[in-house]
Amino acid sequence: MNNRCILQLALLLCFSTTALSLSYNLLRLQQFNSSVECQKLLEQLNGRPADCLSDRMDFKIPKEIKHPQQFQKEHAAFVIYEMLKDIFHVFKKGYSNPDWNNTIVTDLLSELHQQMDLLNTTVVEKLGEENKRQAYSMIILRLKSYYVRIRMYLEAKLYSSCAWTVVRDELYWNFSFINRLTDKFQN
Amino acid sequence: MMLLSHGSSAVRSRNLCLMVYLSLMFVTSHNLPDGSCNLKMTFRNFRLILSWELEKQSTVPTHYTLWYTVMSKTDDMEIIESCTNVTTPFCDVTDVWKQAHETYVLKVQGFRGKAMLFNCSSSTLSSNILYEPPEFEIVGFTDRINVIVKFPPIVPKIYGEEIQHHLLLFIKEESMGIVKMHEPKINGNTTGNFNYVIDNLIPNTNYCVSVYFKPKYLENRIQSSSKCTFLRLDQESESSEYAKISLIITVFSVVFVFLGTIILLKRIGYICLRDNFPKVLNFHNFVAQIFPGLPPTEAVNAVEVISVNKKKKVWDYNYDDDSDSDHEVALRPSAGGYTMHGLTSRLLSQVSAASQEPEMEGSEAEESDPYEAEPEPHPGPPTVPKPSPCHTSGPYERRESLCQDSFPEDNCSSAGGSGDRITFNVNLNSVFMRAPDDDDSEESPLVSSLPEEIINLEEDPDQMESSLLVASGERSQLLDLSPFSQCLWTEEDTPSDRSDTSDFDVDSGRDGYIMR
Repeated sequence: MNNRCILQLALLLCFSTTALSLSYNLLRLQQFNSSVECQKLLEQLNGRPADCLSDRMDFKIPKEIKHPQQFQKEHAAFVIYEMLKDIFHVFKKGYSNPDWNNTIVTDLLSELHQQMDLLNTTVVEKLGEENKRQAYSMIILRLKSYYVRIRMYLEAKLYSSCAWTVVRDELYWNFSFINRLTDKFQN
Repeated sequence: MMLLSHGSSAVRSRNLCLMVYLSLMFVTSHNLPDGSCNLKMTFRNFRLILSWELEKQSTVPTHYTLWYTVMSKTDDMEIIESCTNVTTPFCDVTDVWKQAHETYVLKVQGFRGKAMLFNCSSSTLSSNILYEPPEFEIVGFTDRINVIVKFPPIVPKIYGEEIQHHLLLFIKEESMGIVKMHEPKINGNTTGNFNYVIDNLIPNTNYCVSVYFKPKYLENRIQSSSKCTFLRLDQESESSEYAKISLIITVFSVVFVFLGTIILLKRIGYICLRDNFPKVLNFHNFVAQIFPGLPPTEAVNAVEVISVNKKKKVWDYNYDDDSDSDHEVALRPSAGGYTMHGLTSRLLSQVSAASQEPEMEGSEAEESDPYEAEPEPHPGPPTVPKPSPCHTSGPYERRESLCQDSFPEDNCSSAGGSGDRITFNVNLNSVFMRAPDDDDSEESPLVSSLPEEIINLEEDPDQMESSLLVASGERSQLLDLSPFSQCLWTEEDTPSDRSDTSDFDVDSGRDGYIMR
């Protein structure tokens, strides 16, 4: 009986490892597609950056996000999840921009939600509290501060068109950084 | 009054016109027809080329000037030095734009002479690049295609980063409606000609190959060109044959030029070739030198030895006259003072190996004995003593003892005996020889230089037991016969008798020869 249990546990571990590696590959492909879709939607939102040069602001994205070096798969997935979650919260107020098409905003929010849900069920929930504490390192804290600055900027600019144009442009490149983090799923 | 009113109205109208004119001029100077200029970023020959086109432009500018800034920073517009006063509507910004994830805002000014015709602004995403396919060549073989993609000699970069961070290289292989994609890995060290082989192809089939770049994180916004080739079955052999033929032609050309140069130099006297070679280089008799001829053969005379068996006379310390008379009867003085005795092969074997050829002792006796023995058939068939003890000795092994007997029925126990003849080589300079046909009375032994050593055995036979001095014409050799004392010549068949050296049997009445 004990031998059978041990055998079942061993098989479960082996298969879970394999399943997890397969899930990371699938997750990587899905994340790529989701990021591409989000960027397309952002391009469809109106706004000419050339007309809003006076409203520009350097939000100082963390260097670890802009140039990711060493990331474990689980930590990369957790960072991506946090980024998607904050982007979602920013664009939730996008309905306030009269120049934007609300349908596009809805599609954007839907895409973000789907991707967050996928990450949460495949990776985030499986991370233990210890791993989460490790993931909640300075990188996450700086990332949180970055998105707080964006939200505060919008509030200060009274959610003007140029402010939304600047934020849209900033978050467009966030998805490029997410794609680079997704490459870590191959490790 | 009317004149003043007219004047003032004119002035006012003139001023008004002037103001309108100036305002119009001011407005037009600041609100130049920007138009919409369409910006396009192209990756061509591994360079970032920014091009623009202006809509609804009636007058074509003669030159352009570009300004740019980025959205992520609050920097002012900056002029692009390499794109100042360019006469073409495109400019290379590879070394200018080093921000990969950036939105670039451009301002394009068109001039005609010194007059600015237009000033348009636009923005472009750095990822919004149209990647033109690279130049490539294909070489088809029997079952494979070699694709050669031409990369620049210097490492190409996009926004200051290596290209593998932004794009992927794909090679599409298409044949009979079947498409296969190949993704060769490229990195920052990929420069020059990049070779990729598509193998496991079907001969006698047409294949089309296209090479293109694909953005790494975006959908395909590519252009692709294809080149086709037909894989012939003998394509590889032809190419290899061409290579062989060209190689042979090259070798022959080189050899021909070399020989021609040598001949020319020889004719003009720059090179003088010697005709007379040193002796060591004379190879006319090379074969003869390597394989020298055989030395002239020595003169060989065949000597026939006829064995004569005589009864061994043992001296019984009897000084009777009978024995003396027997000895005397046995002796036959020769004309030359030599006594002829019978000789057997045993005697021949007693000659030491020091002499190259055996020295025949008493060969005369050997020669003469048969003639002496012949008239005496009654003593019985001569027996040849068994030479086996003799043949155990080393120096004597050279000679085969072939017993030659005038009586074929005699038992010849010689080890090498084949029949009853003994044949051996004799140095004529060291032995006394007489032709077998010569008469006894006319015998004149052929003596070259053999000194006469007459040893009287009767006087002191004991002193002669171990040495026999044989003098030849040129040398004298001391023969130690003591080991062979048992190999004495015995006229009777007593091979097993081995006597001490002091008890050697000596034929009585020997004069000049020691017979053992």
